[in-house]
Amino acid sequence: MKPRTLVTALAFAVPVIGLLELGGYFHFANRAPSPEAWEQARPAVHEAYQPGDVVVVAPRWAEPIARWKLGGEVFPLREVARPDVTRYARAIEVSSMGARSPELEGWPVDKESHVGKLVVRTLRNPVPPTVTFDFTDHLGPSRAEVEFTKKGRTQPCRYNARAPIETRGYYSPPPFPAQRYQCDDGPEHFIGVTVIQDDRALPRRCIFAPPPGDGGETILRYRDVPLGKVIRGHLGIQWIMERDRLGSPTTLRVRVDGEDVGQAVHEDGEGWKPFELALGSHAGKEKATVELRVTAPERKERHLCFEADSR
Amino acid sequence: MIFGNNRVGRPVGFRDHLFGFFLAAAYIAILIATADNLGYARDEGFYFRASETYAKWFDILWDDPKEAIKKSVVDTYWKTNNEHPALVKSVFALTWTILYKKLGWFAEEGTSFRFGGMLFAGGALWLLYIWGARARSRTVGLVAALLFALMPRIFYHSHLDCFDVPIATMWLFAAYAYWRSIQQGGVVWALTAAVVFGLALNTKHNSWFLPFAVIAHLLVSRGPTLLRDIRERRFPLPLSPFAMATIGPLVFVGLWPWLWFDTFERFLGYVRFHTNHDYYNIVYFGQTYWKPPFPRSWAPMMTLATVPTITLVLFVIGFVSRAYARLGYLLVSRAPRPEPDRASTDLLWALGVAVAYAPWLSNSTPIFGGTKHWITAYPFMCLFAACGFELVAKQVRTALAAKLPSAVPSRAIDVAVGLCVLSAPLAQTVGSHPWGLSNYVPLVGGAPGAASLGLNRQFWGFTTGAVTDWLNEHVPKGGRVYLHDTAWDSWRMLQRDGRVASHFRGVFQPHKADASLYHHEEHMQHVEYQMWVTYGTTAPAHVGVYDGVPIIYVYARPDIAKPKEK
Repeated sequence: MKPRTLVTALAFAVPVIGLLELGGYFHFANRAPSPEAWEQARPAVHEAYQPGDVVVVAPRWAEPIARWKLGGEVFPLREVARPDVTRYARAIEVSSMGARSPELEGWPVDKESHVGKLVVRTLRNPVPPTVTFDFTDHLGPSRAEVEFTKKGRTQPCRYNARAPIETRGYYSPPPFPAQRYQCDDGPEHFIGVTVIQDDRALPRRCIFAPPPGDGGETILRYRDVPLGKVIRGHLGIQWIMERDRLGSPTTLRVRVDGEDVGQAVHEDGEGWKPFELALGSHAGKEKATVELRVTAPERKERHLCFEADSR
Repeated sequence: MIFGNNRVGRPVGFRDHLFGFFLAAAYIAILIATADNLGYARDEGFYFRASETYAKWFDILWDDPKEAIKKSVVDTYWKTNNEHPALVKSVFALTWTILYKKLGWFAEEGTSFRFGGMLFAGGALWLLYIWGARARSRTVGLVAALLFALMPRIFYHSHLDCFDVPIATMWLFAAYAYWRSIQQGGVVWALTAAVVFGLALNTKHNSWFLPFAVIAHLLVSRGPTLLRDIRERRFPLPLSPFAMATIGPLVFVGLWPWLWFDTFERFLGYVRFHTNHDYYNIVYFGQTYWKPPFPRSWAPMMTLATVPTITLVLFVIGFVSRAYARLGYLLVSRAPRPEPDRASTDLLWALGVAVAYAPWLSNSTPIFGGTKHWITAYPFMCLFAACGFELVAKQVRTALAAKLPSAVPSRAIDVAVGLCVLSAPLAQTVGSHPWGLSNYVPLVGGAPGAASLGLNRQFWGFTTGAVTDWLNEHVPKGGRVYLHDTAWDSWRMLQRDGRVASHFRGVFQPHKADASLYHHEEHMQHVEYQMWVTYGTTAPAHVGVYDGVPIIYVYARPDIAKPKEK
């Protein structure tokens, strides 16, 4: 091709690029489902949903519109701020733009229906676990008591089912929930189920259990816990608090019927860190006393939050 | 000649200025007409407050000049927001005082402040047209102005009472005046360049980089003849750089009352504020950066993701063609020798782009602020892009000349090519409003594609403007609203303008609010989670959605959140 011919061809390509971009603009501006399209999918999702299911949105960034239009009933905080999807037997995936949830990779699809630009799928967990006890769900005076040690003294933390919720906006500890144990060691020393932002900005529902000062321990003691083979869970610190990686490690020690079964240590920068502790001879006990003990060399911004279950 | 001509310095007359004025006026009219649904950005709130304070000082200056220039009075009124210079905030103060308070031309106070910024946006178009027309052709001038006006993020920033479009305009104006001073010689343009440089210094600190462009321009364009000029006892350099270096700072200090006293200390304080600026959070490909090292790809990648692709294609064509026209003879023996260009126009434009992007070669330069921190490059990119357009139109015209009936005027082909290249920027700019900073080009899949890529969805909390109707309809009288990223003074201006009910009370913690705003930015995601715990639900009561992407969410107490019965 002669240079002049090439230049002419390139010159004609430019208006074509302009028109392609115009087409691209209209395509992408209308590609994602509108709020009305989400609204239309509401009956299909509610029909598929059963309590205990987890509803997963793909792509994940569309989830706020899904929660708005499909309703909070199918997005309980417990499931939206899940530790992971392994505990669920079924999932409802609501997907748009051909996206699939990486969380549900490997889950077989039982049912699939198309509603406008959205696809509603029911998926089955290929290896559903048997969770015998969820420590986060059972934090409360009927199953648990909380105390802390400081300077060699042990003090109880009082449970309040109607404490004032407190939030502090940006760069702050997680919200103070209405149901919490308050320890006499400063306002931020409470134990309760709250939500943190992990290192991937995901919500994690967990038990906020910061350590006391002076190297003491915050102790959560659960009674009559039916045990599986392991205690597994995750631990983390609100990302905004751990991201500078200046804090000391925080340790969660687990004791069953007075015997240490192991510990998990969280260091800044590790994000939402999984752990699993084998229960050994305690495995399968129908009633055990489980202690979860939190400690750190220094307490500043050691806002440990963990979740755990036995399976 | 395939790669365009080398002629520079065409006469531009009154009619050109009239046309430039028309372009500016039309753009400003569009900006005013579209301002009322654009929420107020964080920084606008700070500048509303500062401008109001400065307006009080101007009142004193008007009534009692001797009193106004006393240190105690200056300090009282000019201490506010002394981390930024005075010029643009003074313009805001004057447009608010005169056009809103005295003449009542604006229905909304906020728009009267913003009008000052819009004047600069219009001025940029005027300047681009004139410079393009004078340096290349009227087509180049017109297309440059339109491509600039039709960048979605420029359109957004052009609305604001902020400094970003003003500094892009003043940078361009100073460069233009410097160019005229070299091209034409004499004292008038040298003095103009000096004064405008001083005004640019008084606009925003981006102006600190202008001397680098001027020095580089002088070194490259005059360097080879420098020794010969000295030997022949000719003064080797033009007057304007010296005028800029001496008069410019005087204008800067003279028009910023804060620097009239304790000048050195206060100037150092100003410099230190910007050289030690906090690092803000910004998400980029799914990772939030808040301290160095920052990714060096940030500036070019965000340019690719936010500037209409056709504009960038034309820029590349224009830049390469101009480089070939200037330097091609060094590489290809049959390439034409360029006509002399006393002002080295192409070099100056190239430096206008390069100097604006240069800070991001360092991985410690903060990357917050979206794309506005290299906004001064865009006018120069548009000038090159317009050269590219002219070249493309010429090639198409030439190719079609023999194939089309003679009744078809060649201008019609230019217009057709123009429509093809301007339609996408126009559609994107129209579609981007009032979500400006959430807009991304089709190259990255638009706003949904950017969300999937993990690019920043917004900053500055300006999208509150998109949910004012919901708040007015649902929040009860005297209701408390958590403002999240909206600055207090920006919220107050929404109330003063009547855009949100004046009886609402802004609060700073979600648990104290009846309804809470959440402007989605990844590093602040935990604020949304606070609302889940506060209101006992994960379902927003309302979401502001742009092209299917959630931008701003409203959570509320259950009795407020439920849909109103019609």
